[in-house]
Amino acid sequence: MKSKLLPLILVLTFLIIFVIFFKSLKSSNIYTPNTTLEKKIPSFDLKSFENNSIIISEKIFKDNEYYFMNIWASWCIPCKEEHKFLMELKKGGKIKLIGLNYKDNFKNASNFLKDLGNPYNIIVSDNDGTGSIEWGAYGVPESFLVYQNKIIKRFIGPISNEDLLEIQKIIK
Amino acid sequence: MASLIGSYSLGFGLFFSVFIILFSVRNLRDTEILDKKIVSFTFIQFFFVVISFFGLIISFINSDFSNETVFNHSHTTKPLFYKISGTWGNHEGSLLLWLLVLTLFISIFLFKSNHQPKRYRIFTLLFQQIIIIGFFIFLIKNSSPFNYIFPTPNEGLGLNPILQDPALAIHPPVLYLGYVGSSIIFSSALAAMVTSYVTKEWAKHIKQWVLASWVFLTLGILLGSIWAYYELGWGGFWFWDPVENVSLMPWFALTTLLHCILVLEKKKILTSWAMILSIATFALSMSGTFLVRSGILNSVHTFANDPERGLFILIFLFTLIFLSIFIFIFFHSDKEKIENNFFWLSKETSILVNNWFMMYFLSVILIGTIYPIFLEVITANKISVGPPFYNKLILPFLIPFLLAMAIGPNLNWIKSELKDKFYMIIFLIISFLLSAFIIKQFNINFLINTILVSSAFFLFFSTLREFFAKRFKNLSQNIAHFGFSLLILSILFNNIFSNEVITNLKIGETFKTEKFTINFENIDQEDEKNFKAIKGKFKIQYLDGSSDILNPELRIYNQPNIITSEADIKTNLLTDKFMTMNYVQNQEYFNVRYQVKPFMIWIWISVILISFGGFLSFFKKRYEI
Amino acid sequence: MYGRKVKLRFFFILLILATLALSIFLLIKSLEENVIFFKSPTEIKTLSEIGKQKIRIGGMVKKDSITIISKEIKFIITDFKNEINVVYSGVVPNLFAEEKGVVAEGYLKDKNFFFATKILAKHDENYMPPEVKAALEEK
Repeated sequence: MKSKLLPLILVLTFLIIFVIFFKSLKSSNIYTPNTTLEKKIPSFDLKSFENNSIIISEKIFKDNEYYFMNIWASWCIPCKEEHKFLMELKKGGKIKLIGLNYKDNFKNASNFLKDLGNPYNIIVSDNDGTGSIEWGAYGVPESFLVYQNKIIKRFIGPISNEDLLEIQKIIK
Repeated sequence: MASLIGSYSLGFGLFFSVFIILFSVRNLRDTEILDKKIVSFTFIQFFFVVISFFGLIISFINSDFSNETVFNHSHTTKPLFYKISGTWGNHEGSLLLWLLVLTLFISIFLFKSNHQPKRYRIFTLLFQQIIIIGFFIFLIKNSSPFNYIFPTPNEGLGLNPILQDPALAIHPPVLYLGYVGSSIIFSSALAAMVTSYVTKEWAKHIKQWVLASWVFLTLGILLGSIWAYYELGWGGFWFWDPVENVSLMPWFALTTLLHCILVLEKKKILTSWAMILSIATFALSMSGTFLVRSGILNSVHTFANDPERGLFILIFLFTLIFLSIFIFIFFHSDKEKIENNFFWLSKETSILVNNWFMMYFLSVILIGTIYPIFLEVITANKISVGPPFYNKLILPFLIPFLLAMAIGPNLNWIKSELKDKFYMIIFLIISFLLSAFIIKQFNINFLINTILVSSAFFLFFSTLREFFAKRFKNLSQNIAHFGFSLLILSILFNNIFSNEVITNLKIGETFKTEKFTINFENIDQEDEKNFKAIKGKFKIQYLDGSSDILNPELRIYNQPNIITSEADIKTNLLTDKFMTMNYVQNQEYFNVRYQVKPFMIWIWISVILISFGGFLSFFKKRYEI
Repeated sequence: MYGRKVKLRFFFILLILATLALSIFLLIKSLEENVIFFKSPTEIKTLSEIGKQKIRIGGMVKKDSITIISKEIKFIITDFKNEINVVYSGVVPNLFAEEKGVVAEGYLKDKNFFFATKILAKHDENYMPPEVKAALEEK
């Protein structure tokens, strides 16, 4: 009797502890740095792509409007692939596209846009890469969906057709 | 390139686990001697993990930012030393270090256990392999240190400057040596149960491992504490923060086990207890990792968290716990009744008493640490448990604990009489008078403090006398216990006599107290490689005419952009003078804290003494405790 | 002889049980006394009575609200719905700044005033204490 009861109690106790830990894991509202969800967007002041005037991020991003911030470069091959989706996104007109031209040469970048079309409302140049570091970007291309001054979604690498559909769904 | 090699050798390492298990199971049935191949495979596995670890270190040294871990935690302007220590300063690298030590220890175990029964050795290896495989899968699947980023970023995100400290650079490896050492104890205890080898011989054999892990764990906690004191600028060394508690709990379990093993080595009693402790020590180390990494603890120390990682560790941890419960219930037989008779006044009893107290302290910390988690799940109330909880519950019980600790080591095995009653009474009176005299000078709660300090003094004098009475026969235990009395005394005095001033000052302002004045003379700016330093110059003028100049510092790091405070500490044998300066946003005021902390250095010295005691007994062939 | 041994053992078990009961009692009592509840400014406003217990308040430090008068630092904690004035004298962590998350520990004077005895900060600059995050999300 006694020898059977003890194991049962032991197992039961640890099961309860497991369930509690498991639940706290699910419900924990911990801060997770790598998703950067709902995080306030980092600020930057960078040179405009067209002329050398300084553009401050606070001036660009307004509340109640969707923004799609895209880090790109003319030397980046995957950027060409995702370009058509950006053009598609622009057609919808419900979102403003911000281009962050990463470590690029002005001439090449202009040709790139001339050939494939310019989807961006505003382009800033990030010659030394500081802007993308501020945003914690991993590389080129990378995009951030911004709303209410917060990053709602982050896309590492070129966006795909599914991503496009998802974005269009969100901004509806 | 280095990352690529590292990544592949991790895979190879895991692959060898299959071989090890295969050959071990086959070897269990066949011959009487351990198959040499198994040992070789274990070494090869260790070798692959070493390569993998070096791969990561080299990636860090070369600032290879195509590696995600390096990109997230390093920066080109970082000094070389911190580039290397950055390897294990993050989640992925620290797990790789865990794995490295796991494989290292099992190799050493196989190497050193030649005289043990074959079946016991193989089962230990098998249980250890379960843990090793768990870590391999966790590393490869869930937190690979070798993720590739394309295109390669030019610069990394940098290591949190607060972690750029020598004490913290070596804190994780030392602590892990302690944690992982407990994994060997765990596997070996399970193996001993399965093969019915829970005997005196086993106790003798495993004691080396218990001692080694205990020394490392003690030193690891010390390093963390030193770091908190110098770097965090909170002017303390222990805050009862959940993350700190989590490292203290295995320490209590391990200390209890250490004493329990001493008994088991002499007589085959308390076997179940020793088994439970062996399992508990490792389970507590693992839950520590779980609680810290999953982020469900509400702590002031933060780590990058990820619920998915937490889930993996949780499932892994409970698989091991249930496995050990299963083995304990079905394999462990409690045949110790024959020898189970000892007089109430004997060394056995005193060690049992020690065990009870240790368990009590452990439960207090355990409850204080996980109660908030339970309450939040059940009632959705968010709470934290403050330091008074621990002080209130631990301090009163410290008194009988210290007294028992003073008397216990002088008793004989099986049956004893109180020896040296004369000295004991003399010491008790001296201790009481001495502490009453000291405490009277201060306006604090007389009764509890006097009793506490006198029991600490009592232990101090008793252990001091033992050095001579026993003619250094039992030096290791004596040093450890003496160190403990010194630790308690220093902590008590440190708490009682501390003096603190916190104020806000502008440059040129002076702050006056009864005993001294603080003059904020000027600030100075210096540019360093990866930070800008703002140095304050403070002159402290005492009533007796002497003065000190202290230069606390604010550091503004460039990558990542973080402000830290560097305390300026003037240490001498009697007291520490500690000053920090903090920046307040948009104000010309600086937040200044000046503390006088007596006997600070003795806290560190006594912990070093304690672990030195453990270290000494590692080299002792025969025990006469 | 035998009777004495049994008696001794009985006494022993009784002693253990008594100690156990005492320590459990102490534990629970001490836990009740030393638990620190966490509240957001909005929760404070809806409190029916002001307790004397130590609590923690979490939220954001309101913009332009930090002022220093020699020993004391005053600021406002907001959860963008309700605010509370905090008076504090003590060590200010470096991460304490306007428009950043903060957790203050101390005593309520009334629903608008809070005497903080400690300000907590974390090592990670990106860090927002979990409670603060939850409190801010609830709005």
